Amino acid sequence: MPKLIIDDREIEVATGTKVIEAAAQLGISIPRFCYHPALGSVGACRVCAVKVLEGPAKGIQMSCMLEAVDGMQVSTADREAVEFRRYVIEWLMMNHPHDCPVCDEGGHCLLQDMTVSGGHGLRRFPGKKRTYPDQDLGPLVQHEMNRCIHCYRCARFYQQFCGYRDLGVLGIGNRTYFGRTAGGRLESPFSGNLSDICPTGVFTDKPSRFIGRRWDYQRTPTVCIHCSLGCHAVTSVRYRQVARQEARMSAAVNGWFLCDRGRYGFFYASRADRPRQAAIKGETAGMEEALAHARSRLEALAPAAVAVIGSPRSSTEVLALTERAARLRGWRGPAFFADVGAALKVKAAVSRLEAGLAVSLGEIDQADFILIVGADPINEAPMLALALRQAAQKGAGVWVVDPRPVSLPFEFAHIPTAPKALGAVLGRLLRKSIEPAGLDGPAARFHASLPGDPASGPELPARAAELLAASRRPIIVCGTGIVAAEWVELAADAALLLRAAQKKAGLFYVLAEANAFAAGLLTQLDSTTDRVLKAAAEGDIQALVLVENDPFATFPDRRLLEQALARIELLIVLDYLDTPASRRAHVFLPTQTLYESGGIFINQEGRVQYSAAAFAGGTPVRETGGRDHPPRVYGSGLPGAAPQPAGQLVARLAGEEIPIDIRAQREYFSEQASRLAGLPDTERLPPDGLRLALRNISAERFKSMLPPVPAAESDDIEIILTERTFGTEELSTYSACLETLEDETFAGVSRQDAEALGIRDGDRIAIRTENGAVELAARVCDNMAAGAMMIPRLRRLPWQTLGKSIRRRDIRKA
Amino acid sequence: MRVDLIDKEPSGPIQAVWEGARAIAAGFALTLKHLFRKPITEEYPEFKRPLPSRTRARIVLTRDPDGGERCVACYLCSAVCPVSCISMQSAEREDGRRYAAWFRINFARCIYCGLCEEACPTSSIQLTPMFETCERDILKLVYEKEDLLVNHGGKDPDYNFYKHAGVVTAIGGKGEHAGEDQPVNVRSNMP
Ligand code: SF4
Ligand code: SF4
Ligand code: SF4
Ligand code: SF4
Ligand code: FES
Repeated sequence: MPKLIIDDREIEVATGTKVIEAAAQLGISIPRFCYHPALGSVGACRVCAVKVLEGPAKGIQMSCMLEAVDGMQVSTADREAVEFRRYVIEWLMMNHPHDCPVCDEGGHCLLQDMTVSGGHGLRRFPGKKRTYPDQDLGPLVQHEMNRCIHCYRCARFYQQFCGYRDLGVLGIGNRTYFGRTAGGRLESPFSGNLSDICPTGVFTDKPSRFIGRRWDYQRTPTVCIHCSLGCHAVTSVRYRQVARQEARMSAAVNGWFLCDRGRYGFFYASRADRPRQAAIKGETAGMEEALAHARSRLEALAPAAVAVIGSPRSSTEVLALTERAARLRGWRGPAFFADVGAALKVKAAVSRLEAGLAVSLGEIDQADFILIVGADPINEAPMLALALRQAAQKGAGVWVVDPRPVSLPFEFAHIPTAPKALGAVLGRLLRKSIEPAGLDGPAARFHASLPGDPASGPELPARAAELLAASRRPIIVCGTGIVAAEWVELAADAALLLRAAQKKAGLFYVLAEANAFAAGLLTQLDSTTDRVLKAAAEGDIQALVLVENDPFATFPDRRLLEQALARIELLIVLDYLDTPASRRAHVFLPTQTLYESGGIFINQEGRVQYSAAAFAGGTPVRETGGRDHPPRVYGSGLPGAAPQPAGQLVARLAGEEIPIDIRAQREYFSEQASRLAGLPDTERLPPDGLRLALRNISAERFKSMLPPVPAAESDDIEIILTERTFGTEELSTYSACLETLEDETFAGVSRQDAEALGIRDGDRIAIRTENGAVELAARVCDNMAAGAMMIPRLRRLPWQTLGKSIRRRDIRKA
Repeated sequence: MRVDLIDKEPSGPIQAVWEGARAIAAGFALTLKHLFRKPITEEYPEFKRPLPSRTRARIVLTRDPDGGERCVACYLCSAVCPVSCISMQSAEREDGRRYAAWFRINFARCIYCGLCEEACPTSSIQLTPMFETCERDILKLVYEKEDLLVNHGGKDPDYNFYKHAGVVTAIGGKGEHAGEDQPVNVRSNMP
């Protein structure tokens, strides 16, 4: 461990630390443009110059390229170094446009800061300024190339860190250009990070263009709720409008970045059509009036005739209070999942995440072998794909066992496997790669019960087993979308078996929605949405209370939903979205978004994280002023601030008066929700959240059901409903800027099936169902399992009418 | 000095009366003299004294020589204002020009410090010598953009920010602004 002296202060740092990082540990911030902790150093900008007084090479050195060695003595304030940095800034500013007042980076611009702090004020160079043409890069990133200082951060981030190739560096010398070979939408779903990472205003955030300056924003640390990973973000609010979201550094979760779904998924909160008023039968009503009306109508019904449906997009507070309300009143539910299968999977994941086994997103890059079973990272949890890429870059082998044509931004191997056979493939792979000798009791018995390669049929690639056998730190990534609950358990046992074989194995589940983990903790298997709707369709239930749930977007059986809604006499909807369900509600109660109420979310590894309230709510000034100046009336109340936290409303629906004071509410909450008691006060949650210490589950180890050999092939084609990065996650579909990024509607079919059905890529096909025909384009995929059809849950596609499988003869060319 | 005064101290009551009478007479004499002089007081509002153009009072938003609104809604004046009496919302015109969708100054709060004018990079916001802004209704002191805009360039008649900035607007494309080279040809292979 080298010890060095920087500005007369001594510090000991880890071997390999760069001087710029060592200085940072002392709290000395050396100017930098090209250096970034996530991207490392390239020495391109020359602004981090320091003077080495004692060391291997004395004189001016670039601190980002210079490794700290023992006995080194460095000065950052030496006159020569200061002068050098001043000249560098002056050179960088030589071609810089006179743009600050109209540049969206102004106010949080690194170049501005360095120029001002370096003391450069007047341009002395009399020559002309270089200019560049700009490109239209799609709806998320604005391009203004004149402002570039050629630090290469964007190209390194885009290509090296993320693995996309459509943006990079072009040209040479004075013409070096950062952009695409031709303008057009950026292909990477991580492109929004360019706005964060570019130290100047070349790449700026397009949707929040001109809304405000950094100093005017109310900035709050929040947690992204657009997938189950729970990445950390900073939310900016201005004039009661949620304006922008940026990544918040978290070593345990997302690192420095955020995916575009998370970054731009917030627009639902400030939409002009967001319902902010309670309504009775579509007529606007006061909140108290609507609440009293709903309560009296509910009280007139037998408790068993009332059912509650919640959703895993709600905060833990809302889930717990919903559960409590239902329990107190004897209502049915709450149902948090569409069917028992979905609930079971999440419950299995929740119960099998042992403290020693679960790995965080931040730990993924330390793996040397990653096996992904039934998960499609880039579409289900985009930041996972980025973490996987970092592992792959460090040499980890990544193998995907999945029926879908999974694509990832790095080299990986794919074993297209029918959904039914996922477990069997995992079992066979384990059996093949782990030597039974040396395993103890239960692990040995579990190993013996695993299936071997069948006599016939395709063999598993030997390379996968070899790599797994040789790995030291393997990680099993298991999805919960298309896999069966048994396989979720099997994944946990697989990780345990690898542990028993002396590997530092880890387990990583991907869940379906942001707070699925908490919903899994609180759900009861006998109340799921399909059962509730069936009971309603049969007339056993007269009133439905939907708490932040739009079954039109989430429930897979539209027919049943319509039957149920036609039969019930009272539909109460609590939501902050303008959904088909809220439009049909007999009583509608507006609720607050996470940005207004704050709340706890538990991510897929059981990490409890608090997303703070960013502002007090209310209609954005943009709306109240009709885009002109704000109304010239002054009062004490906020316009459009009727919405209340859903938890509070549902408790009041159940006839309880719950404390309005936040602290009292939290006490009340932890008292009531016994299954979540023990959660620390949100103020005491560490910045990276807290992983739930789950109960001892040794009894469940190695009990997973053995994967049965897949049943004899039925001739039907199984429908696999899948997520897409854009267009399927409910909340982000309310973001107008993401609309054009959504996929076309399509049906993915394997080449084998396509040939059998006589379909070619791009053909329009018609699928006949009980509910009429659905027409869409076929996408023939080479790396897809036969016997399955992939359908994205896009809004424009009536996927809710397709059912679970279709007969081959019902698929025709249109 | 002090020694002097002590020396001249009145020495008796007669002396004191004499001194007092003399002082009163001198005072009246001066008053009488001014009574017959031409007054130098100027009556306001009958007479309005021309103020130096840099006097700091009522604020305006000026226009560039081409008649365009100068303000680019950069938020610098609102940031620097010590009493936070400026608020605005920036927006974009069809041609890419950034402007203020609305702009409001609360003159009930303004202390006429002139910092906004100093901060303004486009010479848009300027203080004028117009100081008569009293109102009985305080809301009338809240000025909107329409109330603030004037159709001249104020103290800086020639400046046009968009002729100097690098962004593309109707005023100029890439390479057409002051001191700019033609856009580089990225595809060229020449050294
Ligand atoms: S990039 Fe920074 S320095 Fe350049 S115009 Fe924008 S704010 Fe000003
Ligand atoms: S575009 Fe931004 S990040 Fe890329 S090289 Fe230029 S200044 Fe650096
Ligand atoms: S003169 Fe001073 S107080 Fe008045 S608007 Fe300008 S900065 Fe604010
Ligand atoms: S500083 Fe000038 S250009 Fe910027 S917002 Fe104020 S008046 Fe407009
Ligand atoms: S930060 Fe060291 S050269 Fe750019």
